[in-house]
Amino acid sequence: MASAPTSKYNSHSLENESIKRTSRDGINRDPAEAVPRLPGETRITDKEVIYICPFNGPIKGRVYITNYRLYLRSLETDSALILDVPLGVISRIEKMGGATSRGENSYGLDITCKDMRNLRFALKQEGHSRRDMFEILTRYAFPLAHSLPIFAFLNEEKFNVDGWTVYNPVEEYRRQGLPNHHWRITFINKCYGLCDTYPALLVVPFRATDEDLKRVATFRSRNRIPVLSWIHPENKTVIVRCSQPLVGMSGKRNKDDEKYLDVIRETNRQISKLTIYDARPSVNAVANKATGGGYESDDAYHNTELLFLDIHNIHVMRESLKKVKDIVYPNVEESHWLSSLESTHWLEHIKLVLTGAIQVADKVSSGKSSVLVHCSDGWDRTAQLTSLAMLMLDSFYRSIEGFEILVQKEWISFGHKFASRIGHGDKNHADADRSPIFLQFIDCVWQMSKQFPTAFEFNERFLITILDHLYSCRFGTFLYNCESAREKQKVTERTVSLWSLINSNKDTFKNPFYTKEINRVLYPVASMRHLELWVNYYIRWNPRIKQQQPNPVEQRYMELLALRDEYIKRLEELQLANSAKLSDPSTSPSSPSQMLPHVQTHF
Amino acid sequence: MEFSELIRTGRAQAELLRGPEAPPLRGTLCVTGHHLLLSPGPQATPDLWLLLLRSVDSIEKRVAGDSGTITLRCKDLRVLQLDIEGVEATLDIARSIEALSSLESVITSYPFYHRPKGLRLGDAWHFHPPERYYKRVARETTAWRLSEVNEDFSLCPSYPRAVIVPRAVGDDALARSARFRQGGRFPVLSYHHAPSGTVLLRSSQPLTGPQKRRCAEDEELLRAVLEGAPPGTRGFIVDTRSAQTAKHARLTGGGTEAKAAYPGWKRLHRPLERGRPLQESFVRLVEACGDLEQSMDRWLSRLEGCRWLAHVKEALSTACLAAQGMEREGACILVHGAEGMDSTLLVTSLAQLILDPLSRTMAGFQELVEREWIQAGHPFQLRCAHSAFSHARPKHEAPTFLLFLDCVWQLGRQFPLSLEFGEGLLLALFEHAYASPFGTFLCNSEKERCLCEVRTRTHSLWSVLNQPKEQRKLRNPLYVLNPLAIWPSVEPQSLRLWQGLFLRWIHPSEPSEVAWEKVWQIVTDKEKTEGSQPMVSASEPQP
Repeated sequence: MASAPTSKYNSHSLENESIKRTSRDGINRDPAEAVPRLPGETRITDKEVIYICPFNGPIKGRVYITNYRLYLRSLETDSALILDVPLGVISRIEKMGGATSRGENSYGLDITCKDMRNLRFALKQEGHSRRDMFEILTRYAFPLAHSLPIFAFLNEEKFNVDGWTVYNPVEEYRRQGLPNHHWRITFINKCYGLCDTYPALLVVPFRATDEDLKRVATFRSRNRIPVLSWIHPENKTVIVRCSQPLVGMSGKRNKDDEKYLDVIRETNRQISKLTIYDARPSVNAVANKATGGGYESDDAYHNTELLFLDIHNIHVMRESLKKVKDIVYPNVEESHWLSSLESTHWLEHIKLVLTGAIQVADKVSSGKSSVLVHCSDGWDRTAQLTSLAMLMLDSFYRSIEGFEILVQKEWISFGHKFASRIGHGDKNHADADRSPIFLQFIDCVWQMSKQFPTAFEFNERFLITILDHLYSCRFGTFLYNCESAREKQKVTERTVSLWSLINSNKDTFKNPFYTKEINRVLYPVASMRHLELWVNYYIRWNPRIKQQQPNPVEQRYMELLALRDEYIKRLEELQLANSAKLSDPSTSPSSPSQMLPHVQTHF
Repeated sequence: MEFSELIRTGRAQAELLRGPEAPPLRGTLCVTGHHLLLSPGPQATPDLWLLLLRSVDSIEKRVAGDSGTITLRCKDLRVLQLDIEGVEATLDIARSIEALSSLESVITSYPFYHRPKGLRLGDAWHFHPPERYYKRVARETTAWRLSEVNEDFSLCPSYPRAVIVPRAVGDDALARSARFRQGGRFPVLSYHHAPSGTVLLRSSQPLTGPQKRRCAEDEELLRAVLEGAPPGTRGFIVDTRSAQTAKHARLTGGGTEAKAAYPGWKRLHRPLERGRPLQESFVRLVEACGDLEQSMDRWLSRLEGCRWLAHVKEALSTACLAAQGMEREGACILVHGAEGMDSTLLVTSLAQLILDPLSRTMAGFQELVEREWIQAGHPFQLRCAHSAFSHARPKHEAPTFLLFLDCVWQLGRQFPLSLEFGEGLLLALFEHAYASPFGTFLCNSEKERCLCEVRTRTHSLWSVLNQPKEQRKLRNPLYVLNPLAIWPSVEPQSLRLWQGLFLRWIHPSEPSEVAWEKVWQIVTDKEKTEGSQPMVSASEPQP
């Protein structure tokens, strides 16, 4: 007892984990039958391996590989461990140990995943079993390198709702009250001729002609001109997004761009200035001049106020998350947990992103000033800032469908480079384009939902499901870098949308706390004191960290809600029955005693 | 009354600032014997603002021009600012508060004057006499008896009049064992774990001294404990000091149980910090939480540097160890440190919460606090004389009880359905332990409470807390009885800063209160609809 490590105390939680002690009383059904399979999923191979579980030691199991997933089932009687990993999650496959390797379980594969874990399998040295598994995994986890289709194109799942219809830009802008006499909808980008990474449909100032837009495009990085993201329903101030101006070392100016910003400013008569939020640290903005970029200078852009938000670039975020993984997987840092966490700077980055979004939201809502947001290309930090600010300002986006629309609009349609940032089906794990920008956004949303437990219609599972399918390649939602590429690949015709899955099981993703509120602006506290590491996501693989399973509060809530609904329904039925009798004298002979048993059978 | 001598001024005009959330309050300020009053005039709501002077932890005054400012830092960690017209008035009021808030006499303290409407004196004091817990033990086993050997508190001044001891041990032997234990705190039963038939005991350190003295009766007592348990039961002595410290204690007459003298018992050392380091940790944490100017980039390492969460972790893991010993190993556990009035109680009370579903109910938890803290002689008056803001050098102050509440909060966070009470009760206990209009946490021991007639002359906190109107604030609407042990995760990743307490006055807790209210609504709506069914069927149409 004296030597019992503290972690043993939680051994109870293991029983709630995937490792369940079961008594299968020796009946061996065909195990392959029980391997889940999606329509369109095909079995490739299966193999006996040793899964080197970082928490419970080596476990003998059989691994099944399909064109979608790696599925492992324990072959040991006292462990019912199951691993179910979509191949899309894999970022890297390495061989460990060589022909001369000694020691137990030192020969096999080490698989690095995008979702904060690694999987290690030990294999027998004889019979090329490792080479086979390596080749098959490489082939199906990285289909791009083998001219194979991504699984989303093979998936034949059917849902009773079509997630692709969730977002309709015209409808969404109409919801915002657009077009109006200051803002118009333009189809100038219908064939992605103006800007190949923007959506086809854009909202621009009424007074700016399509010719103006074309001229402005020449002065904005990758032609990403300032366009409207959101308009305040009352004070009509707007959030406009774009990329950096192409100022360069020589300090170039562009009259059309300057005029265009002035036109945007003039759509709001309450404040004589347009506020520009440059998401970058000011040094980076200056440094960008060297590569032709830059920022709006005071002398060129009168009546604007430029503020830098100090958010770092994709490379800094990638390294920060790497450090988070180092301290949580496989073993969590114990002795100096908080200072280790601090040294990853992850929460600090979260804080800066949230602080930036709060400033944008506050400027629009209380400052009554229109704002323009950009970073360098306007598809990473800009998307974070506009979408988070919109989430704070507009309660519509806090509903399940509203949030889907927000992601679809600010991220997917406006060309956040999901393919480059995530590397779907790409074997090049060290690509400098990879970065957890979208994850960071979801983390910020989670932080907000923690601080406002009643404000969001969705729960934590919703956010985690989105993140899981960000990598899984089961749905087409997050594939490709921009709308034009998606259109070319006919993604909406050939793949299923993640929102189909979610919207056909909405109850699972609902937050029972949710109280619908209109027009309430949420300002989360972005102080480090109030931010916490999202343990249920980042450390979810560690059975020792888990708490009661599954989220008991939610579960109990759901029970209560269901009970309440049930009772209310019964109550209404009773009242209805009563009033029916009141109004219809022909049924009056029925006595209470006759009616009661009839009603009671329901209970 | 003698308070009048300490009151330097009758009244003054003042404005009260109560932090970012509440609007400022303007009106007439007035110091009375026990309170600071601010009356904003008849039209205002609330029409009277009241602060118990005992709850002032530190006071700071500043004058400028013809007005002054008094900053009051309260024991419940609230910071109040009073802007007062008139320099003289400011200084007088400050001096009055200083003098009145630090009065040491128990019997002139406010609980002896507080007579709330609707409560009768002596109502709830008898909710938790030692006999009551003994009755439960006696239903489960016959190996234990209730001894009144300490009836006049002569054997052990910090124990209650009746304690639960092995049936096989006579009062004479207890008396001798008491002489062998610091402060007379001989091993007594803290909790009987019925499923395993084992027990949790607590005591103070044995007085072995440098000569390694022994005491046959003390040894007999512990032997009897094992004999009263299922055959073959072993014992573990959880010493809350390091082996080194325990050894050093011999030089000053204390020490620890020698292996050879107590066959069947094995000693384990689980050092827990107490006293000064714990108080300093609390002070540092409160300072860090209140430091709004400091750059926040270093918040996490600063939080870690406060070591408060490390104390929470250590307390919970030691309690887990004790609980595990009983439940998993079927062993009897004796917990003690030096005096056995601080970390010992922390461990025994937390172990019970982990193991005993009854102690997780509203009534059971109150009983636990009463039995394992108040009656077990945790010196509340000394430990809670000052909270985290006092400039005075800490003498006996230590936030042991707060640490206990924090650990309970962590349990509640990890097992959100298993505690019948919510954060509200824990916050109330924290507040009242440090300053209260009720007598529950007065004095250091039952003996003192008897001398001061606390039980007959003051009202009990439990009477107020158990009033129906308080329940919505204190109860956990999601509670369902969980018959199992609740084993908390003690990894640092699983422990959190108790924001509801430490950041309570710094950041509005409104959203979480809204959520709490929402749960209540759902629960009570459900009950209402349930309750109204028969009504509907009864309201049949009249012919």
